[in-house]
Amino acid sequence: MENKITQLRKGILELAILGCLSHGRHYGYSLVKTISGEKNIDLTEGTIYPLLARLAKESLIQSEWIESSQGPPRKYYTLTMKGKEAYQVLDGEFQKLAAIIADVRKAPDEDRSDIDLNVLSVKKEINND
Amino acid sequence: MTNGFSGPVAQIVDNYLGRLRKGLKGFPAQDQEELVKEIHSHIYESFRNDPTSNEVERILNVLDKLGEPSVVISTRMPSAMVTLGKKKKLPFYILAGVLIALFGVPLASGGLSLALGIIITVLALIMTFYIGAFSLIVAGWLSALVMTVRLFSPGFLDPWVNVYPVVPNPTLNTILYIIGSLLIAAMGLGLLWLGTRMMRGVRFVFRFLFDKIKKIGEARSDRAQTG
Repeated sequence: MENKITQLRKGILELAILGCLSHGRHYGYSLVKTISGEKNIDLTEGTIYPLLARLAKESLIQSEWIESSQGPPRKYYTLTMKGKEAYQVLDGEFQKLAAIIADVRKAPDEDRSDIDLNVLSVKKEINND
Repeated sequence: MTNGFSGPVAQIVDNYLGRLRKGLKGFPAQDQEELVKEIHSHIYESFRNDPTSNEVERILNVLDKLGEPSVVISTRMPSAMVTLGKKKKLPFYILAGVLIALFGVPLASGGLSLALGIIITVLALIMTFYIGAFSLIVAGWLSALVMTVRLFSPGFLDPWVNVYPVVPNPTLNTILYIIGSLLIAAMGLGLLWLGTRMMRGVRFVFRFLFDKIKKIGEARSDRAQTG
């Protein structure tokens, strides 16, 4: 079960990072605070860094070190053009998926074979690069 | 190391960053330093914003929220290993290509030793070829040099060099030898040129095979998914 939660979170957390950065630049700690906010989600803060590294590797985000008025310099992240586009696409996709989950949740569990069921097919894409 | 903290808090932070560094061994030095710096900054900011009054308690709280160094590194590991694996994969594809092309043997543990043998043979052939080419060049130039010396002082190298007279005139004979030596050197250069051409051809064949195998693999995994 732990594993399932981690998997689910990872994908959504990536989207959340892109969403946060679409409003402006952030450094790691401020991202964590913005994402978790006051919500009761026990986010292990460190998990954000591997995700940031991956997004940067995919050139969806870029970073630069900026001196802080107090304490050590901060590494600020911003969205690249590619990242902005990716965010639009992924956000649209997420809304569709969230709508599916909402529908499924409220659906009565009676036999609905009289209704035409739209079959949802999922094709896995293989990335060979 | 000064990390912006003092007393036991500094020690705790040092210990954490030390463990992080240990976990990052094997990563490029620049990546290591960058991540350590970033995590240090995170700890600093988190510490500054935590309301706990006892400092030691506060830093432990901060590090607990941050998670173990392995968490910070976790998904970098697989990605680093993936790139490593990718680098290693290519020769294996080539091996598989050679084996399938030559014998129709799929690359299994049994095929591996066979493949190793073939690779070593090919490497040995390539090396022999180049050594041959180089010795021709060296021998050609050396004898041309020796003959040129003979041209100017005929008696100088006589104790070591015994030249068979092809034509009666000794000067003409030496010049003939020089031309012969230069021809040998040219032959060596020609072999080198041929070698680069051949390598290009070999590379082309490998790439061709590699693409073919990739396509077969793709088709197979597509079938596995739909079926």
